[in-house]
Amino acid sequence: MTTTLHEPELARLARRRAMVPYLLLLPGMAWLFAFFLVPILRLIGVSLQSGIYPNYEFTWQWDNYARLWTQYGGQVWNSLRFAFIATVICLVLAYPLAYFIAFRGGRWKNFLLVLLLMPFLMPFLLRTLSWKIILADEGLVVGTLKSIGLLGPNATLLATSVSVIAGIAYNFLPFMALPIYVSLEKLDRSLIEAATDLYARPTEAFRKVTLPLSMPGVVAGTLLTFIPAVGDYVNVLLLGSPNEFMIGNVIQSRFLNVLDYPVAAALSFTLMAVIVLMLIPYVRATGTDDLVA
Amino acid sequence: MTENGIPAVELDHVTKQFGEFTAVDDLSLSIGENTFFAMLGPSGCGKTTTLRMIGGFEDPTSGTIRLHGDDVTGLKPYRRAVNTVFQSYALFPHMTVAENVAFGLRRQKVDDAEIKRRVGETLELVQLSARGSAKPKQLSGGQQQRVALARALINHPRVLLLDEPLGALDLKLRKEMQIELKRIQQEVGITFIHVTHDQEEAMTMADSIAVMNHGRIERLGSPSEIYEDPRTPFVAGFLGASNLMHGTVSGNDVGLPNGAVIRLTDHQAARCNGHREVQIGVRPEKLSFYGRGTSENTPANRLTGVIADASFLGTSTQYLVEVPGIGQVAVVEQNLGEIHAPGEEVVVAWKPEHTFVVE
Repeated sequence: MTTTLHEPELARLARRRAMVPYLLLLPGMAWLFAFFLVPILRLIGVSLQSGIYPNYEFTWQWDNYARLWTQYGGQVWNSLRFAFIATVICLVLAYPLAYFIAFRGGRWKNFLLVLLLMPFLMPFLLRTLSWKIILADEGLVVGTLKSIGLLGPNATLLATSVSVIAGIAYNFLPFMALPIYVSLEKLDRSLIEAATDLYARPTEAFRKVTLPLSMPGVVAGTLLTFIPAVGDYVNVLLLGSPNEFMIGNVIQSRFLNVLDYPVAAALSFTLMAVIVLMLIPYVRATGTDDLVA
Repeated sequence: MTENGIPAVELDHVTKQFGEFTAVDDLSLSIGENTFFAMLGPSGCGKTTTLRMIGGFEDPTSGTIRLHGDDVTGLKPYRRAVNTVFQSYALFPHMTVAENVAFGLRRQKVDDAEIKRRVGETLELVQLSARGSAKPKQLSGGQQQRVALARALINHPRVLLLDEPLGALDLKLRKEMQIELKRIQQEVGITFIHVTHDQEEAMTMADSIAVMNHGRIERLGSPSEIYEDPRTPFVAGFLGASNLMHGTVSGNDVGLPNGAVIRLTDHQAARCNGHREVQIGVRPEKLSFYGRGTSENTPANRLTGVIADASFLGTSTQYLVEVPGIGQVAVVEQNLGEIHAPGEEVVVAWKPEHTFVVE
């Protein structure tokens, strides 16, 4: 602006500028209100109903919530256990992978990232079904493990917790690897040089500088893996048996097969609450300020 | 040099190639104990690569590097008694100032009481005692710079490497830090090797300067030696301003294209060693104006021309004088008396000892 502005005009401009952040937030907030907040409140409402399909009425049926522990404790335990083990496996596999691509990838970096994402060009169901072939009773993996004596002669992998965990870990690996890759990629290399300049051997430089500074990626990766893995039910359906049923399978069958909406809603809501309660101390301990920084 | 004459740092025919590109080309250099040594040059001249080889971050393609007489070629950075102040400071963002400063001592397993004492001492040296518990992000650029310095100095390195440490600071702070760095160097009494592209910074601080170009040292010496006798056109142009002129030598005289004869000292004439065609130079502040009528007081080297441009710079005025057959000659005069106007015909003159020959 070349002309000088009068004070009321300046004040109006300043007011308008102060509005900008809110205006930018508006679409996102509206979306969350319509498609997150409203359904959640409705879910809570449904979870306190009782009756038989299609005649439900709101009766403060708190008993629906108790079902998670009294009736489906085993499935809840499966969910948490499988998701936890798969998350650990993902972390162990993804960190070195991301480290290698970020630090040693050189001009192959983008190519390696595409390779990492390549399986995702294939539909989810096909990807998971292919594990059925890999882990089949007469397949290569089972055969090899039997021949070297790691599996007994009558043992199988399919329809066990092993195959379910393998499927979950496989499907969520990129969600772990990508955030870790990003945090390693943006790490200032001169910090590592500074550490070695200050008498840190490579392992110490990793422990004191690289690892702590990549924690935001590790936290983001574990959240992106663990949260959806707890609620997953497809891997069990395709690779497991009813023995491995997770809480997701229960919710799915309550909603779609038994049409017991109140219990399904109560289970969904409790699962969400349990995950949030579990993750608060985790995120606290690993430093949220770095996550948002 | 120490009494026993072993230099703090010695580079012996060091070459570094990155693929086809030769960053440092057969460089030999020896830096004495307790000197403030500056490596000066434009970007890409090999000064930073040389520094990184001394620090151990790059291995030379060929040649030997010695620290206090010990061959350290190929030794990792954490095995060298050398510390670095990085260009962007490279402070650990997840640690406090005190933790940053203590990092080197912790790696060397120094006991806690000793670390505490030395951190306090070093923060005091850089005047940051009050900010020990702050995170680097909370400090100003100048303060971060001093943390980087403290983090290196606390280890009592025998050589401190500084990679453009003042590059990110504004002018006023840079001037303050130049004086501060010099004070600290004298206080701790170790060799500082300072890489910079700022000629004024190098001249202010360094005892000795190596001017680098294309991976080689073009000129090595004290700031005044290099300034008064740059020896190459590159150094003459990179360090301050120069008037360079082509001419033909005979004895101590150089004939210029416009017929003027410029006198050289015996020392400078000897440097022509048999060449007929040479380039001579003189610094603008060595030139003065004289009226048309020259007297015995007028210095021997004279050119006649017309003032083309005058720029007032406060303490001095810079003139451009158009000399027929030679081109424009820059003259800087202190503002003591009259200021000359463009169009005025003048004689500019200087003493033979202010004339230098460049190769």
